[in-house]
Amino acid sequence: MTESKPMTEMTYDATDGGTAPRRSISARAAKPLQWLLKLLPGIALLLFWQWASGRLIREIYVSKPTAVAARLYELFASGEIYPHLWTTGQELVLGYVIGVAGGVLGGYALGRSPQLARIFEPYVMAFYGIPKIALAPLFIIWFGIGMGSKIALASIMVFFLVFYNVFAGVRSVDRELVNLTLVMGANQRQLTYHVFLPAAAPFVMLGMRLAIPYSVIGVIVGEFTSSAQGLGLFIHEASSTYDPAGVFAGIVILLAFVGTANLLAGRLERRLLRWRSLSGSGPIDI
Amino acid sequence: MSDRLLAFDGIGQDFPAPGTKANIRVLDGISFDVDRGKFVAVIGPSGCGKSTLLQMAAGLLIPTRGAVHHRGRTVTTINTEVGFVPQQAQLFPWKTLAENVELPLLFRGVAAGERRQRVADALGAVGLKGFEQHFPNQLSGGMQKRGSIARTLVYRPDIILMDEPFGALDAQTRMVMQSDLQTLSMEAGATVIFVTHDITEAVLLADHVVVLSQRPSRLLANIPIDLPRPRNMFEPFRNPAFEAAYDAVWTEFRSQIDIGRVH
Repeated sequence: MTESKPMTEMTYDATDGGTAPRRSISARAAKPLQWLLKLLPGIALLLFWQWASGRLIREIYVSKPTAVAARLYELFASGEIYPHLWTTGQELVLGYVIGVAGGVLGGYALGRSPQLARIFEPYVMAFYGIPKIALAPLFIIWFGIGMGSKIALASIMVFFLVFYNVFAGVRSVDRELVNLTLVMGANQRQLTYHVFLPAAAPFVMLGMRLAIPYSVIGVIVGEFTSSAQGLGLFIHEASSTYDPAGVFAGIVILLAFVGTANLLAGRLERRLLRWRSLSGSGPIDI
Repeated sequence: MSDRLLAFDGIGQDFPAPGTKANIRVLDGISFDVDRGKFVAVIGPSGCGKSTLLQMAAGLLIPTRGAVHHRGRTVTTINTEVGFVPQQAQLFPWKTLAENVELPLLFRGVAAGERRQRVADALGAVGLKGFEQHFPNQLSGGMQKRGSIARTLVYRPDIILMDEPFGALDAQTRMVMQSDLQTLSMEAGATVIFVTHDITEAVLLADHVVVLSQRPSRLLANIPIDLPRPRNMFEPFRNPAFEAAYDAVWTEFRSQIDIGRVH
């Protein structure tokens, strides 16, 4: 009899729904606080940087936040940075899109066909092991000093990440679910659209998120190696002319790129994978 | 005999055994018929290949020897005339309950208006009205199972194949589900093959109980259960006729349990 008490309390809680508004109120109050807590370490770091520069370390090595901000303003006000931004932006987007598209298609094809997978997996594995950065000089020779070589380098780095995730995702689809769908009357196209793609979606999203910083690495390394225009070139030149504020300004812009891309990917993920986040809010047993 | 819908004809199945060249013989010459509108339960010790029989009826597996005939035609490819209710509910987690139930109709090219109506009917029949927009992970195990059954009933398959569908449910939910399944199959006049290892469940639900032996399994008996319907799923042991039927199945089955120390 003593055991029945907590049980009734539990059911009361679950059906009452009175806990939901209470939770949301506390959540609303907690949100600005959460943001403050999140920002605090960043602000502390910036303050320390500002203080330490010129005191602990010479400013010529590390610059300082105010100088970086001034440099950023100057770059945008004079319009000096725009050609670089435009070039790098194009390279990033194209390299990323091509890499993701190739990775999804390749991973899906090999995931669906065990025969293809048996033949091609060792090759993909071998190419995966190559440090792609080492290919940068070769790509410059193949695709020229312009955007082509950077796009190639970024897309090949993105490709492998997305490829492996999608490959694993498609292979992990429950065989019984596939059989059931076939018995229900699905053809191959319907099977792809209703089962394999949604089942692989979380893996595609994971690959896409992981690939964002890699596309930036690919583009910047390509531009470091040899280029006529781009943020990588700008950073490279700034560092070789002892302009740390310029280097950091370039890095801040890259950070903004990555941040925006992550934000967009997060939005897409929440939209596509809505069904995953809804667990636990269901009714009790009937 | 004209009523015969599905026939297992001398089914034999070997599976390659890991580590050796010899095959494991799982099924050995199993024959029985399923008549239209009948509820046939298949019971046997675990690992005897009960589920394999269902896979063959669905055309997911072609037997090594013998054949399955559905309406006189040999099953050689995926059989979309049957419905399959698996052990786990296997609803598509990325679709709402209504979308899940609608899917087979979509595959079969049913018009949108009729789809909506039939989905509503099927969900109503299994008692899930009001949960259309829920995702499967928001539903309890029993509700997911009901959804899985609705998804099969909705396209009115010729035969419904059920593979230990209530095995994972708790005892109370299971009794309710058994009772509801009886009502549903009686109303629909459905033909059902129901695999289970629970003798009570088999005797309560079925018109015929097919008893399989240990591996390599043979057909031990095909026992008709002549209990009037609707049967009371909640208090079977109050009915002496049930006890007699249970006894008939148990006498065949007990030898298999005595031998089978290792499962």
